[in-house]
Amino acid sequence: MMKWTLFIPELYCLFMGVVFFGLAMVSRPNPRRDYFAALFLAGVGVVVALASVRLEGTLFFEAYRVDLFSQVFKVMLAMGFFLVVCLCTELNGIEERHHPEFYLFLTTCTLAMMMLVSSVELLTIYVALELSSYSLYILVPLRRGYGIDVEAGIKYLMVGASASAVMLFGLSYIFGVTHTTYVAEIIQVLPTVIGTPAAIVGLLLTLCGFFFKLAVFPFHFWAPDVYQGAANQVTAYIATASKVAAVAIIMRMVALTGGSSTYLVDVLVTLSIASMTLGNLVAIVQKDMKRLLAYSSISHAGYVLIGILSMSTTGYASAIFYILAYLVMNLCCFLVVVKVAHDGSDLKIAQLAGLHHRSPLLAMALMLAVFGLAGIPPTIGFTGKFLVFTAAMEKGYVALVIIAMINATISLYYYILVVKAAYLLEPDEELPRLSVSLPTKVLTVVLVTVMVVFGVAPSYLLEVARAAARMLM
Amino acid sequence: MSMEFANFPYLSAILLSCVVGLLVILFIPAERKMLIKWVSLVSAGIAMALSIYLFFAYDKAQGGLQFVEKVLWVESMGIYYFNAADGFNLPMLMLTGIVLFTGVLTMWDLETRVKEFFAFTFLLVAGVFGVFMSMDLFFIFVWYDVSLFPMYPLIAIWGSTRKEYGAMKLTLYLLAGSALILPGIIYLFVNSGLNTFDVVALMQPGTFTPFQQKFAFILLYLGFGILAGVWPFHTWSPVGHVAAPTAVSMIHAGVLMKLGAFGVLRVAIFLCPEGWQYWAQLMAVLATCGIVYGAFVGLAQTDLKYVIGYSSVSHMGIVGLGLATVTIDGLNGAVFQMFAHGVMTALLFSSVGYIYDRTHTKMIPELGGLSKTMPIASGYFILAALAGIGVPCLASFWAELLVFISSFKVYPVRGALAICALVVGALFMLRVVQRTFYGEKNEKFAHIPDVTFVQGIPRMILVAVIVIFGLFPSLMLDVVQTAVVPFINGLP
Repeated sequence: MMKWTLFIPELYCLFMGVVFFGLAMVSRPNPRRDYFAALFLAGVGVVVALASVRLEGTLFFEAYRVDLFSQVFKVMLAMGFFLVVCLCTELNGIEERHHPEFYLFLTTCTLAMMMLVSSVELLTIYVALELSSYSLYILVPLRRGYGIDVEAGIKYLMVGASASAVMLFGLSYIFGVTHTTYVAEIIQVLPTVIGTPAAIVGLLLTLCGFFFKLAVFPFHFWAPDVYQGAANQVTAYIATASKVAAVAIIMRMVALTGGSSTYLVDVLVTLSIASMTLGNLVAIVQKDMKRLLAYSSISHAGYVLIGILSMSTTGYASAIFYILAYLVMNLCCFLVVVKVAHDGSDLKIAQLAGLHHRSPLLAMALMLAVFGLAGIPPTIGFTGKFLVFTAAMEKGYVALVIIAMINATISLYYYILVVKAAYLLEPDEELPRLSVSLPTKVLTVVLVTVMVVFGVAPSYLLEVARAAARMLM
Repeated sequence: MSMEFANFPYLSAILLSCVVGLLVILFIPAERKMLIKWVSLVSAGIAMALSIYLFFAYDKAQGGLQFVEKVLWVESMGIYYFNAADGFNLPMLMLTGIVLFTGVLTMWDLETRVKEFFAFTFLLVAGVFGVFMSMDLFFIFVWYDVSLFPMYPLIAIWGSTRKEYGAMKLTLYLLAGSALILPGIIYLFVNSGLNTFDVVALMQPGTFTPFQQKFAFILLYLGFGILAGVWPFHTWSPVGHVAAPTAVSMIHAGVLMKLGAFGVLRVAIFLCPEGWQYWAQLMAVLATCGIVYGAFVGLAQTDLKYVIGYSSVSHMGIVGLGLATVTIDGLNGAVFQMFAHGVMTALLFSSVGYIYDRTHTKMIPELGGLSKTMPIASGYFILAALAGIGVPCLASFWAELLVFISSFKVYPVRGALAICALVVGALFMLRVVQRTFYGEKNEKFAHIPDVTFVQGIPRMILVAVIVIFGLFPSLMLDVVQTAVVPFINGLP
């Protein structure tokens, strides 16, 4: 087998990018053509990613590693990309002449994240991360006419650039301590010197860059504004695919210590508790659906960290499972957001009123998705939390688990408010039924089925996650 | 051994009848209300018939777990789909079947959002059945939560009297309870070192150290106890009962609160017997507080449903007291009381529901003299009230008797207090009966028709159950004994 076949998912993304670049060159805007092109290409992308899931090997002078861990994440990224494209039937938040660019930058961002999850060399990691960030810096202010988009774009750029700077500084420390930029070699050296301040500071500063991506406290400030300011589909992408990549790379970095640093664990526990608590408490007062989801994502970053800080195979596996669950549930929420606010505006929670008769299917999907986010069985969200908590309990973090569960109860309050809006409140004026096209119905049913079936029968996914997690150890 | 199946999976069939009913309802257009009701009735009927059949088909001479269904579900974590019936859960399964069936009949006149109502109801009941029959910690928790969250829409959409507040309070309280249960369960799973969620495997003596048992027990007891209405975590319960629509009140007070007590029994007491003995004193104190408090607060209520709500707190206290005695009689009485109280409360709420739907009030001062306008409807309520007081020949009598005898032996002071509270309870029930059904007739309600025969069917069923088990308590006790005696005798 030729070595370049390892690089097929990324090459395919590059190819998609070229296609969209070509479409952007064509003068006359044609949203339907762009949409179907994107849908088809993204769909094939998922197939390509799935087909290459068993590949293994290294590329580019050992800087790039293809293994089950990276391939599983690439599948998730391809799926996230595909599902976000599925939401673009009515891309009203972005001007028609910018549609090809929108898809182009989504593609480059996906490409960058795919590279990120495979990179095992510090500079490659940095380059991949920046490529994904820059794509998003452009995507966020692409939204038309609402004014907040520019503020969101600038905020994202500023915070993102600072985080990058901090991360580079941290990388320099790690290089200084270990004299190498290769992760495989760092993993040999770092556990022996992890007690030294330079190593721990370097690692923490490096993690800051990724915490920014995941919106972990205290790097969460951008999230609510960017979620609200960006077009709904872009927010969906930032909320899902981008988080998946962040989790992957954080796991890779934390695994570097070989589980030997109690100091790092303490820091992660603190950040995790702070993220959960802050996200959940602030979410309670939100009126805007996307802002609510932003704060909920901050709290979920905290839950994922619980899995990661367990630093065991079960812990990493639970985090992989959790982020997959989060991807599905969040996309389901955004599906409803996009469909209800089909003119591309922001969705207030109050605007969900009467959803249960405007579209019973969407209402049910929303209810399951938010209950899933709250961690209520029989959804995949519960199973994710269950696995994460089990991993933490195995390490003896009883208090952390109890705090996390209390947080889950707090979060339930605002999730219930969403359900209440959809099922209980009636709109002030009679609103027409939402016309939900057949493909959207199918998509909704598929997402709901995935949420419930893998919530009740997680065996298969769990095995995949465990196998992927073993690659880290 | 990864698979083990009885000849016919009766227990799964009960679950399936609910789940299939739910799915069928989901695919029926919302306009076809009658069809939805019939589907619900048939599903509920099958579930009830199967649960009653199991109760009587259980081999009492053999005892132990019967009708076992065991399939390995998640290998790497030792999760089993493991259902079985024993003397503890058979009465509960039958109770659920009866209350579900009569609840569906009681809601026969429902006109608003029928489809969603029955869909949520069946989801809830599937969860309840699941908790009662499951012998795997993971599934117990999953079913437990499945049975809780439909309560929110059920109360908030179809309820009355501060329904949104009541629904939110109830949901948050109960799920806060599960926030304690889940760490408790995971704690036991991790510390057992057996990598299994199988209750039978985890029950083996010596699996957990005394400290682990004490720690896990208190988490699980408080977590499940919230749902069982343990004082001082009971405040959600009257509010929720009052806000809920009739059938939901029936299921909720009749069955769901038992879920909490059953969880304490099946999870906390089974797995942490030493923790149980250690905390029994505390359990007895809380239970006695609940009995006394419920009785006295009930005395001051003017809303019929609040009265029943507080009497539930009081009666669930009796269950708690029975569990706290750590004796055979106490446990027998507790399980019997769960059953008897479930049927009795269902009848009470069912009767009040009828009155409220017609008169649009459940305030005691506004009613009055109802026995003259609707003697049959009043009769049902009065009978249930008498059962609540513990009149001989009705089911609760035996249950309460057993609990009080055993608690008097073990905790003389608390037992005596509880018995005194029972007198207060009798007083408040009789006061309600007297003010609502006797005395001056309220002309405003003179035109209201009485319960017809068809409308009376669900109530007749409940009355029949109360009387049968009141006259022949051995029907129940013989089954419960098969589980209680070996368990108590096997205690370390």
